[in-house]
Amino acid sequence: MLVHIDGPWSPLLGRLALSEIPYNNPILVGTFVFAALLAVILVGLVTYLGLWRTIWRDWLTSVDHKKIGIMYILIGLVMLFRGFMDAVMMRAQQAMADGPHSAGYMDSPHGYLTPYHFDQIYTAHGTIMILFAATPLLVGIMNILVPLQIGARDMAYPYLNAVSLWLTAAGAALVMASLFIGDFAHAGWFGIVPVMELPYSPGVGVDYWMWAFQLSSIGTTLGGINLLATIVKMRAPGMTWGRLPIFTWASLSANLISLSTFPVLSVALALLALDRYLGTHFYTAGLGGNLMLYNDLFWIWGHPEVYFVILPAFGMISEIIPTFSEKPLFGYLGMVLASLGIAGVSWGVWLHHFFTMAASPAVNAFFSITTMAVGIPTGVKVFNWAFTMFRGRLRFELPMMWASAALFYLLVGGLTGMMNAFTTNDYMVHNSVFVVAHFHMMLLLIVYAIFGGVNYWFPKVFGFRLEQRFGKIFFWLFTAGTAVVFIPMFTLGFMGMTRRLAYVAFPQWRPLLDIEVVGIVIYLLSAVFLVAQLYVSFRDRAQNRAGLDAWETSRSLEWMTHSPVPFYNFAVTPEVHARDERAWRVEHGVDTVRPERYEDIHMPRNTAIPLWLGALSFGLAFGLVWRMWWLTEVCGLAIFALIVIRSFDRDTDYTIPAADIERMERAIRDVPSGRPVVAGVRGAVPAFRQGV
Amino acid sequence: MSVTTSSTLDAKGSPMWSSGHGHDVISTKTLGFWLYMLSDAMMFTALFAAYAVLGHAFNAAGGPWVRAVAHAGVAFQETYWLFGSVLAYGLAMMALKKGNRGGVLLGIAAALVIALGFLAVDGREVLDLFRMGALPERSGFLSAFFTLVFYHGLHVVVGIAWMAVMLVQVASVGLTEKVVYRLLNLRLFWHFQAVMWVFMFTFLYLRGAIV
Amino acid sequence: MLDPRGVISVTQDHYLALDVLIMLLIIVPTGIFIVWAMRHYRRDGGRGRHDARWDHSYALEALVWGIPILTVGVLSYYSVKAIYAVNPYHPTIMARATHAKGPLDIDVISTDWQWVFIYPQQGIATVNRLVIPKGVPVHFRLTSATVVNDFYIPQLVGMIDVMPAMRVRQTLLASRTGTYEGYSANFSGAGFSWMNFETQAVSRSAFRAWVARVQGAPTHLSYTAFDQVAQPTINIHGRVAYFSQVQPGLFRHVVAQTAAGKTYPTPMAMTENMTRYLKAQARRDAHNRD
Ligand code: HEA
Ligand code: HEA
Ligand code: CUA
Ligand SMILES: [Cu+2]
Repeated sequence: MLVHIDGPWSPLLGRLALSEIPYNNPILVGTFVFAALLAVILVGLVTYLGLWRTIWRDWLTSVDHKKIGIMYILIGLVMLFRGFMDAVMMRAQQAMADGPHSAGYMDSPHGYLTPYHFDQIYTAHGTIMILFAATPLLVGIMNILVPLQIGARDMAYPYLNAVSLWLTAAGAALVMASLFIGDFAHAGWFGIVPVMELPYSPGVGVDYWMWAFQLSSIGTTLGGINLLATIVKMRAPGMTWGRLPIFTWASLSANLISLSTFPVLSVALALLALDRYLGTHFYTAGLGGNLMLYNDLFWIWGHPEVYFVILPAFGMISEIIPTFSEKPLFGYLGMVLASLGIAGVSWGVWLHHFFTMAASPAVNAFFSITTMAVGIPTGVKVFNWAFTMFRGRLRFELPMMWASAALFYLLVGGLTGMMNAFTTNDYMVHNSVFVVAHFHMMLLLIVYAIFGGVNYWFPKVFGFRLEQRFGKIFFWLFTAGTAVVFIPMFTLGFMGMTRRLAYVAFPQWRPLLDIEVVGIVIYLLSAVFLVAQLYVSFRDRAQNRAGLDAWETSRSLEWMTHSPVPFYNFAVTPEVHARDERAWRVEHGVDTVRPERYEDIHMPRNTAIPLWLGALSFGLAFGLVWRMWWLTEVCGLAIFALIVIRSFDRDTDYTIPAADIERMERAIRDVPSGRPVVAGVRGAVPAFRQGV
Repeated sequence: MSVTTSSTLDAKGSPMWSSGHGHDVISTKTLGFWLYMLSDAMMFTALFAAYAVLGHAFNAAGGPWVRAVAHAGVAFQETYWLFGSVLAYGLAMMALKKGNRGGVLLGIAAALVIALGFLAVDGREVLDLFRMGALPERSGFLSAFFTLVFYHGLHVVVGIAWMAVMLVQVASVGLTEKVVYRLLNLRLFWHFQAVMWVFMFTFLYLRGAIV
Repeated sequence: MLDPRGVISVTQDHYLALDVLIMLLIIVPTGIFIVWAMRHYRRDGGRGRHDARWDHSYALEALVWGIPILTVGVLSYYSVKAIYAVNPYHPTIMARATHAKGPLDIDVISTDWQWVFIYPQQGIATVNRLVIPKGVPVHFRLTSATVVNDFYIPQLVGMIDVMPAMRVRQTLLASRTGTYEGYSANFSGAGFSWMNFETQAVSRSAFRAWVARVQGAPTHLSYTAFDQVAQPTINIHGRVAYFSQVQPGLFRHVVAQTAAGKTYPTPMAMTENMTRYLKAQARRDAHNRD
């Protein structure tokens, strides 16, 4: 039943041959050298500082939700950087390859990238940015915040949480591996059938794409289950649904989406795998296949996915604006309903991604209306944020700058999104760079919310605030770069420029394409200031020590424990009295009340099994990509064995006696300010390591 | 503002910090498993949708179609096996309520054996179809048909493996909290297979008798 | 798109303007309000009164929900109207014009990576060149021999997906003569960026003359000849070809063949090492010209 593929093939290495290593491509070799150098430096540094033990014991094997969240965010940042580099390459190619007389370099007829290479880059860019940058960043932030906001010790399933993380990491690693071993898909981030079928994609690129997607899909589904169970079951006493912090509500809505739609994605990809490996006919044009089935299944996930990433972003904005307006969120109930509403409607709009498929007018009309209906709850959010600022006392510190700028992205992205939803407009701009510009407005909104959120909660997690001056320069340059890249892109869309062009045939588009390159240069410049901000913040961390509440006017539960948060979160679980518990306690003058007595705390023990599961999943997928069946089989069996072995492990938690908690609490309170602190520091008493 | 260390400083006398607050492990784990089953139901839904899209005569591309491959008679027989197994597992759960370890072991063992019977009948049926040339790669219709059959079969295999593990755990560890919630989750999983089978029977096999 | 020259595209632009106008009516005041609030209520230098408790108001919340609901209602009404007006199968705006003259039928087949246009009434075919008479409704039937493409002539008509083993329709009417760019809008593989065809809208008499000229072309388009054309080709030099006779029912035959599983696999050479392929193609072209 296995499909036979011509070409070099060996039982040991499958399709992998030396020629698959692109050693003759100067760009990739350069990238490799850069990456290798970076790796060597990192490894050297870690060895020099003697950090291996800490990294292994406190991070890689950790089941602490905060550390898992931080690791998610690190993956997201690294991949954001990779996606950014891809964007730079694409813009450079389009600026160089315009018109039949443009020069060609490095084996390309025009510009410096062959079409095949260019196609892989935008596919990788989209895949990475959505699945391996935005999603991990947001999942990471939810991971850190949700348990803190509801007063829980950890997630409902700390071990499963680590499994999700390492599955996502395995997917990201697979994407990175495709850079240097073989190639990546060239069919767009959402995959185009039948381009992805074997006759049109005979290489391993699509397999890499497919399995990386699949791993991250499984990881995110499990993560969604975990967060939902956490929110339902682990709330502190008094934390009724009406008092749930708004970010937690947003996370709940988002994860309702992930729970219900990521499985559909898994199926869409699995059927594609069957087509490519067993020769079935799900998405083929001939022999009874139906390629529209793929579009339906994919976008039934794909559209809700964009709301899966925007909802937590909205949640962060909804936390930041009240804090810096020194006033409660306007229309809490409306906000909650709007979040749930966006999640609800998101299931019923997927067809707007292929209005041009000549469905009957009635069908197009239906989906046009449902799509525009999303504008209602979103509009409610915009207005409620505006009224939160109304009668406020606004402080434009960094988090607030990012959050309030995001509102304008929402207006522009929403306006253009609604233009696409108006079906006859979409007939003209579908597949044009106008759509590309629309979704970049929305996705950059998320990037803005993430930068806002990172600046806002950084002191909570690490104990010191980020530096503001370089941060503000970064903000303004980043904003300028965005404007200079994407305003011309909207215009080009109206001029009829289609997306995914490795070569631009019409010279009249040239001036605008050149302007976009200027925007890229500004972006590159901005990144320098980001690095400067991080460096200076770390250098001056002693001056920027944060107390419980780094911003003085924060409102929710997470600001009631120490910064950085000790590994058990709250020494004693607080009793919740109001919607904004911290603000309520400040108002009643009881915010400094300490518990009079401590109790034993149960904590999950660290374990290396999730890490192994991730590594084995990588092996399994890598074997599948190259059709090294033995590798797949070995890894598959090992995964099964590990799961069974783990189920026999009876020593999965431990107890910290109340006396020790008391000692640690006292020690934390007595930390002289300026002492270096690490995330989720387990008090100042190293003796109390989480069991390994 | 003075620093106090009272638990009940609030004017109304309500506590500031909770005490002795624990979460019910079994109910938390069960909720999670329910959510997982929901996601699995979504996968089945997507596969049924694929089957609905690819279920037309056109999608058989000239090869065998519903009537030729979906045999309601055999499926009826399979129904007996599967429901028998679920029943046996149900009996094991009754024993669990009474704390009867032997009864639990016996019930699960019976459920496992009967499930093997289901697999045998299912496997023979599939092999017969293969032998007559109805292969998944023959047409879009057959791809969708067999994928559903195999996906359900895979769940039964997983269920069997899980039962085997639980037999060992009940025998060696006893009815601890962990073992109990796993048994309860397995019950959910196993019932879910029966429910999915009802859908399979209606949309795959009965359709073969009607079309 | 900004300079529409066809009945359909003019209508589309008309609705676009209406749509944007209605939305700006909401979005612009919202933007202005936010900017005003940000200035008026800022702590350092703002003049607004701080009210630390104000977090809801029934009147405002009714407005907050009411305005978007109303707007979406209005937009939906126009959207549905527009969809029927330019429906590719039976555009209501062209219901009247259809009887005037014609219609002209054209069958479109996309290959990897070229366009084949068949004129069944005239018995001719072209590759990568579309010529239509001005003022006459043109009815297209479209399919693909390989992967999905998107048929798009920005100044005349919006996009429609061209799918293998399936058939869709499109309708257009050019109201002025001229040369318009047409291209594939849906990514379809290595040759996608070069998948352009020039569209010439000419007067009716010029069209007749053109048809007569093509009818004199030496090459015929049988299925075998089509099979040759459909071999993967990156049309980097913008070549055009004409055929004088077309095998009857060719369009339907291609659809049937694709449905029966016919594909035109992309050779590895065209993906991993395109330059070598392009050089070979240039040699082949030179050879054919001699
Ligand atoms: C979250 C999603 C996301 C984000 C943030 C971006 C960001 C950017 N994107 Fe991308 N893009 C997509 C998602 C995204 N994109 C998708 C889905 C596609 C479609 C792909 C397809 O067609 O299949 C696409 C396609 C796409 C195209 C292809 C257009 C075409 O088809 O012709 C282009 C071309 O210019 C482009 C450009 C850019 C640019 C200039 C940015 C800039 O905004 C980038 C700005 C820079 C940053 C956000 C990085 C800053 C951070 C760092 C420097 C990291 C620092 C790291 C550490 C400290 C560790 N994008
Ligand atoms: C986070 C990501 C995100 C978000 C939030 C959105 C939000 C929206 N998107 Fe977008 N979209 C994408 C990411 C996103 N999109 C991506 C990635 C793609 C392309 C993928 C690809 O092809 O590669 C895409 C493509 C896409 C298309 C398909 C285009 C095409 O391919 O032809 C459409 C069509 O309807 C669409 C519509 C909308 C609409 C109506 C919204 C609405 O939710 C917007 C609602 C917001 C507002 C309306 C503004 C605020 C409201 C008010 C101030 C109230 C008053 C206003 C009115 C009532 C008008 N989007
Ligand atoms: Cu045919 Cu979409
Ligand atoms: Cu969408």
